[in-house]
Amino acid sequence: MAAIDPAERLLNLVIALTHTRVRMLRSEIRATVQGYDPVDPSMSEEESKKRDAAFERMFERDKDDLRRWGVPIRTVTDAAHGDDIGYKIHSSDAIMPAIDLTPAELAVIGVAAEYWQGAVLGADARQGLVKVASQVTHHASVDLPFAARTTAAQDATAALIEAAHDRQAVRFEYASATSGTTQRTVEPWRLMIRGGTEYLVGRDRDRDAPRTFRIGRIHGAVKKVGSPGSFEPPEVLPDTMLTGPGDPGTALVALRAEAGHALRSRGEFVSSDGDWDLVRVPFHHPDAVRDEVLALAGAARVVEPPELAASVLEHARAALKVTHG
Amino acid sequence: MAEKALPRLTRLLGIVTYLEQQGPTSFAVLAERFGVSEDQIRKDVGTLSVSGLPGYMPDDLLDFDFSAFDHGVASLTESHGVSQVRLSAREAVALTGALSALVAAGTAPAAALTALDKLRGAMDGNDPMVVLPASSTKPEVSQALLDAVARRRVATVTYVDAHDRLTEREIEPHRLVTIDGIGYVECFCRRAGDYRTLRLDRMNAVTVTDEPVVAAPSDADGFTLVPRFDARVVVARSGRWALEELPGVALDEVGDDVEATFGVTNAHWVAGRLLAIAPYLRVVEPEELVQALGDAAKAVETAQAG
Repeated sequence: MAAIDPAERLLNLVIALTHTRVRMLRSEIRATVQGYDPVDPSMSEEESKKRDAAFERMFERDKDDLRRWGVPIRTVTDAAHGDDIGYKIHSSDAIMPAIDLTPAELAVIGVAAEYWQGAVLGADARQGLVKVASQVTHHASVDLPFAARTTAAQDATAALIEAAHDRQAVRFEYASATSGTTQRTVEPWRLMIRGGTEYLVGRDRDRDAPRTFRIGRIHGAVKKVGSPGSFEPPEVLPDTMLTGPGDPGTALVALRAEAGHALRSRGEFVSSDGDWDLVRVPFHHPDAVRDEVLALAGAARVVEPPELAASVLEHARAALKVTHG
Repeated sequence: MAEKALPRLTRLLGIVTYLEQQGPTSFAVLAERFGVSEDQIRKDVGTLSVSGLPGYMPDDLLDFDFSAFDHGVASLTESHGVSQVRLSAREAVALTGALSALVAAGTAPAAALTALDKLRGAMDGNDPMVVLPASSTKPEVSQALLDAVARRRVATVTYVDAHDRLTEREIEPHRLVTIDGIGYVECFCRRAGDYRTLRLDRMNAVTVTDEPVVAAPSDADGFTLVPRFDARVVVARSGRWALEELPGVALDEVGDDVEATFGVTNAHWVAGRLLAIAPYLRVVEPEELVQALGDAAKAVETAQAG
């Protein structure tokens, strides 16, 4: 029999498992669902063993694909039939709830779906868009003056979303700033995008503590370990995990006229001191102010606090060492 | 390569759901809705019409009106309860995460918020992605630009550029874009006499004028700056974070160090980034970047040491 298109086989499998009254056994699926090779008694024993194994592999992969696609296949055992495992799809698990999107909402989802282009999540976004678009009444397409894209999307993100959703631990190689590349085992709680950068927030099992991981520093594949539902993420994440460690305060910064507009717009003008304008700037972490002052290349200096002023000077001198070396 | 199975399966179910709700629909309309050719829709309807319940006798199959088919119209007469399936976790998060990024960047129309609510309502349980704003775009800035884009009007903006210069510009805004979580407006800048992509969080004030937009939108994507030279920087691991943020950077671990290679468009801008990790710098190349870094460091030292 010529192999039929895999989409057609999956469609027939979904229809069969949705319509079966109680369950379908593997043998029934193989014998009756179009797209699987039924048992052929005229085959040699060796050949039919090969075919059996091929069917098992194909069916396992189809089950995984459908589950990942949003349709869980339930296993149904029947006390009267011993260990036989049967399968069924409950339409209540599978069916798309009515979302009732307006044409403008569908159009903006279409814009958003482009955000992940080039990353694994891009295919998921497009597929999600087709699913929600199936329900929306026809209309002239709405052309929106918006666009979105990311250059930072990581292929690991898709696997981490799934693991966070299934509450399954993951293992990966991670390049940390302090300890080099090590293997981490993490209970993924949440994914976070801050400033376009993707992070994973979760409990590091080896360190037995919550940690934030930069997804771009994950090398290679994200492996799932253990079984789904093996942990319960906290309902509210500690603030510091979302914003990064903080050491808030205010700095007094001197700025040349017509310079430091970003600092000025966040701060408060205090007074003028010769060629310098004094501006008081609140910060979440002093390093951020230090980096902004450094980037202004002499058009700014820190007046207070003294430790911050010293740190700016120390950075400039460290750079001079490299450029003279 | 043939189309993958799940995207096609998704569309097959989408076609059935759409026809159930809308009634007979031309292949042309289906092709537009599902973003494929009319020929593909014809094949899809063909596939659907031979699929169905085990047994696959005529009454078991999804049934279409074949005289309509010959006229390029899909007319479903029996669906056997086939319908679109719910969003998978990945699909749902891909959509809500991207919508949240648009909202956080301040470049989303009002429909993004209601769409986000509706999608979250359809998800089973919690949304595992949190999106935090990268920077603070003033709501009145994005509101005014949205208004200008919608009514195709010129806007006057005060803008702090990447070199920290405050300028006033007349722009013809075409489109709001989110790139890596940061909001921009693509526009024709009359001051520069050229197309520009300006950051919304660097705008202090926007006034919408009555003057109509005349320049056509640019075909080019926002960032067309061409690197002038290639640079190589080696830092101790603790300095890695600043290099990760450089556009187009390639990072390699070398023992306890990290080596970065990247294209430089503006040596002064890169020098500013490198100052932030100066204590961890080991190697900076080429000479042009060394020069820019040295100049910046000297200027900071002079200003700070007073």
